[in-house]
Amino acid sequence: MKLLGRVMRVQAGKSIGLGLAFLLSVSGYALMSNVANAAETQAQATDAVSDENDPLEPMNRYFFEVNRFLDTIAVKPVATWYDGVLPGFAKDGVRNFLDNLRSPVILANDLLQGEWDRAGTTASRFAINTTVGVGGLMDPASRWGMAQHGEDFGQTLAVYGTGEGPYLYLPLLGPAPVRDLSGFVVDQFFDPLTYVYWNGPNTVPVARFVLNGIDLRARNLGTLDQIERTSVDYYATIRNLYRQSRLNEINNGETNVDTLPDIDNLNFDTNEPQAVSPTS
Amino acid sequence: MPPMFSARMASPFMLSLAALMFAFIALVPASARAADNEAAKAFVSETSEQALAIIGDKSIDQSTREAQFTALLRAKADLNRIAGFALGQFIRLPTPEQKTEYLKLVENFIVKVYLTRLADYTDQKLTILSSTDKGAKEVIVKSRIEFTSGREPVTVDWWLIKEGDSFRIFDVNVVGIWLAQEQRSTFTSVINSHNGDFNALLDHLKAQIAKADTSGSTAN
Repeated sequence: MKLLGRVMRVQAGKSIGLGLAFLLSVSGYALMSNVANAAETQAQATDAVSDENDPLEPMNRYFFEVNRFLDTIAVKPVATWYDGVLPGFAKDGVRNFLDNLRSPVILANDLLQGEWDRAGTTASRFAINTTVGVGGLMDPASRWGMAQHGEDFGQTLAVYGTGEGPYLYLPLLGPAPVRDLSGFVVDQFFDPLTYVYWNGPNTVPVARFVLNGIDLRARNLGTLDQIERTSVDYYATIRNLYRQSRLNEINNGETNVDTLPDIDNLNFDTNEPQAVSPTS
Repeated sequence: MPPMFSARMASPFMLSLAALMFAFIALVPASARAADNEAAKAFVSETSEQALAIIGDKSIDQSTREAQFTALLRAKADLNRIAGFALGQFIRLPTPEQKTEYLKLVENFIVKVYLTRLADYTDQKLTILSSTDKGAKEVIVKSRIEFTSGREPVTVDWWLIKEGDSFRIFDVNVVGIWLAQEQRSTFTSVINSHNGDFNALLDHLKAQIAKADTSGSTAN
């Protein structure tokens, strides 16, 4: 769902004022939360039930339904068509090309996180795939042991110790908690294409955004259907899946045993009295 | 002030005693841990093979498959603890009758949901990678599923609780997602959005199980 959205890049490219305002709020937010951070991450790690943090839930649920509606009438039909009509190699070409375009953003964030090895991988991938891979349409670097990985400024902020902030769900953009939304805006400034098309028409950035959304939706047709069908609460499931997969991305795929909830004393069968009323 | 311990004071006997104690402290837990890890890996490997065999068996019908999967789940997973964990802060909310019904529904729900979600995992090979202890009673085993179709490999972590000589599964992580945590966030969300009405959760579970039944029968 978050994939639905790169539309912001167009807006950010156009309205500089908005972008700068965001940037300011980002740095302000980062500073504030760095101070409060030690306590916050501690609380997040220990309190197993802290994963709500969704103060605007009614609004978020409304936008969630808006996106579901847009998905049903427009995105999903197009993605289904795209998936059915294009042969596999063509879809892979599109994916590789879009991934390769994102390399500068990934590289910038690799460097900001001090991940020198991964930065080297990103730079080599870009060089190899742009030349040998015919402008990024193919991905020979993966076959030579340099697998693709993603990074963004939201992850960089998290590595610096910034907490996620309240959850937000936006039209088109999908799940975008304050930290990740800020990161998304900053990433536009790491993207050379933002400057290339700064004063030009929007056609190329919009086409890139739309194609990216369609391709990602097409790749998740079955998965999202299944999640929707097997969820007791689709909105809450997506919220949790988003958070867990972000955490996984931030940790670069490593499971941190110490941040898992404590289940030692978890017990159904105690003789304690029933709770009188739930917390509201 | 003279030093409390000098080389002269330490007799050969005391030295060897100290060495022996050191050896015990250093070696015994290490070897015990290593043995545990092998056992945990073997447990995961055996359990996953049984699960994949049930999912991939084309000769049985859906209800037989569900029955076999339920039996496996009861034997290998700590269903009570999973169900309790999934209620989060509402663990003390249900009455005894509600709890009995909830436990039954959760078991049924898990069977339906994961048989659906795992239905296309039929051409795979599971490799155990490593294991890490979490405290004294829990182990995390990492594994990877590779597909013969050339699909990207999927990482799967298994969170096990030690129980005597064997283990019970508490949670499974697929490409970074802990499944019990996912269920907990939706279950608590349902209870919260119905002002703490536990029956709302039971109704939702029943509806999901019914939905899985109909979609399962059309898919076959």
